[in-house]
Amino acid sequence: MKTLRTAALLVFFCLSALILGLNQTATAAEKSQLETILKRGTIKVGFDTFKPWAMKDKNGEYIGFEIEVARKLAKDMGVKVEFVPTKWSGIIPALLTGKFDIIIGGMSITPQRNLKVNFSIPYEFSGMNIVASKSKAGDRTTLQDFNTPGTTIAVRLGTTAAEAAKNFLPKAKKLYFDEESQTIQELLNNRVHALVASNPLPFTLAQEYEGQLYLPLENDFTKEPISFAVRKGEHDFLNWLDNWVRVNMSKGWLQNRYDYWFFTSEWENLIQ
Amino acid sequence: MPSQSNRKNIRFSLLDGAILVLLAGMTGYFFFKAASGLNYHWKWEIIPQYLLRFDSNAGEWRLGLLSQGLVTTLRLSIWSTLLAMLVGVAMGLFRVSPSLFKRLISSTYVGLIRNTPPLVLIFIFYFFIGDQIMTALHIDDFVYSISDKTKSSLAFFFGPMNRFPQFLSAVITLTLFEAAYIAEIVRAGIESIENGQWEASTALGMRRSQSLRYIILPQALQRMLPALAGQFISIIKDSAIVSVISIEELTFQGQQLMTTTYRSFEVWTTVLVMYFILTFLCSLAVRKLELTLRRD
Repeated sequence: MKTLRTAALLVFFCLSALILGLNQTATAAEKSQLETILKRGTIKVGFDTFKPWAMKDKNGEYIGFEIEVARKLAKDMGVKVEFVPTKWSGIIPALLTGKFDIIIGGMSITPQRNLKVNFSIPYEFSGMNIVASKSKAGDRTTLQDFNTPGTTIAVRLGTTAAEAAKNFLPKAKKLYFDEESQTIQELLNNRVHALVASNPLPFTLAQEYEGQLYLPLENDFTKEPISFAVRKGEHDFLNWLDNWVRVNMSKGWLQNRYDYWFFTSEWENLIQ
Repeated sequence: MPSQSNRKNIRFSLLDGAILVLLAGMTGYFFFKAASGLNYHWKWEIIPQYLLRFDSNAGEWRLGLLSQGLVTTLRLSIWSTLLAMLVGVAMGLFRVSPSLFKRLISSTYVGLIRNTPPLVLIFIFYFFIGDQIMTALHIDDFVYSISDKTKSSLAFFFGPMNRFPQFLSAVITLTLFEAAYIAEIVRAGIESIENGQWEASTALGMRRSQSLRYIILPQALQRMLPALAGQFISIIKDSAIVSVISIEELTFQGQQLMTTTYRSFEVWTTVLVMYFILTFLCSLAVRKLELTLRRD
């Protein structure tokens, strides 16, 4: 009995060592990510649902600015595209553990994120804005009006909106939520004075709930660079991405698509 | 149980009436408050298309987003239930085994799983352990190597094959988590059988495995059934938790839908009703099974 047990343990340890060993060789043998994608014939794209960056239409297909960018990118690369929807709060760990090759999800560059991933040159800029409750926040018109200890702000966790709120409104109390719809509900229920989010959400909200919400600021108070994120050390891949952005920016394709998704509502009937 | 006499004696007392009126009043008040008190534009008409929609390109009816999510929830629950049953029964038998080694293994397992929150367990499993297993077994390469035809037929059982590694991670985590509870149910069921039964079967010359199979387990199973049923229904509900690792099941689809349409209340209510229907049907089925197994 005792020998049997020892043998079983031995087999177990050998197996675990084998698994770990295989893993090591697998990572060592891996070539550049660009090669891997081309060989596989599919690029896996990580993103989360953000209107109008990426969303599901009525037929269950993904549409949106990011989705179009990802499709064009894959087409130019000559590979198929596979979308991997991922919760925003776990998107960087998912990239690092290889659940997908690239984040195309309206991700703004921040130094903290940059410590963990590599960014391409920005292909778009996004601005933060505030939408506030008329009854609760009165008629405030500057950012400073909201920077008081009595003010409560709702933001989505892990977004640059959360960071912008932290930096621009340090005195205000912040409530963090996992989903954008929750922040909106808090605002509509008058539990917070305002919400900070990237455009065009504040704009659309102020339009839909005209009697209740308003835009205190005329212009966005930040301008943040939006980039592709890949795992660290992928220089070949990054070089390709940088030049892809340069080419498509110079042709005006990126601006054209951005204007379509952000400043028109032609696509609105595709989703509801 | 005298079920026939129950049927004869249905009487409606004043108290019953009062309670019913009170309940109706409270429900009415709740809906009134929900409709008027919340600053919210209700738009129920957008929901049906997410359950069932007409695809004009293909010219046929297709499942909507939420129904697709429900199907994934079902797939997840069925696989986890089957696997959890296997692991759970094995661990439960280990729990009552005469071998100290087996008892130690199972009590460590049960103790470890029962005292950790499932959410944390899922994250750890998905990001660290699951990844190691998937890479070691070359699941990814396997998925890319199979033909499109095999893919579509396998998709019936496992959902879209390109998301198979994630699906597998979710199933394994759910299995590990639920099996710990099933193990305890099995242990309690076996321990509830009187010692005399063991002694009698030994006296008849049965080995331990034989007495377990012919004498103890058939009796224990009947006692375990209600608790097991509760656990299976729990699996369906707990499957909502894997939405955090982006498995496209009912809760995840609901959340995605809310982010694009900003219709939180309508979507949450629909999701709630869908879960309820699913679990309620399961309860009914188990109740039926219990009645059939009853031996009087």
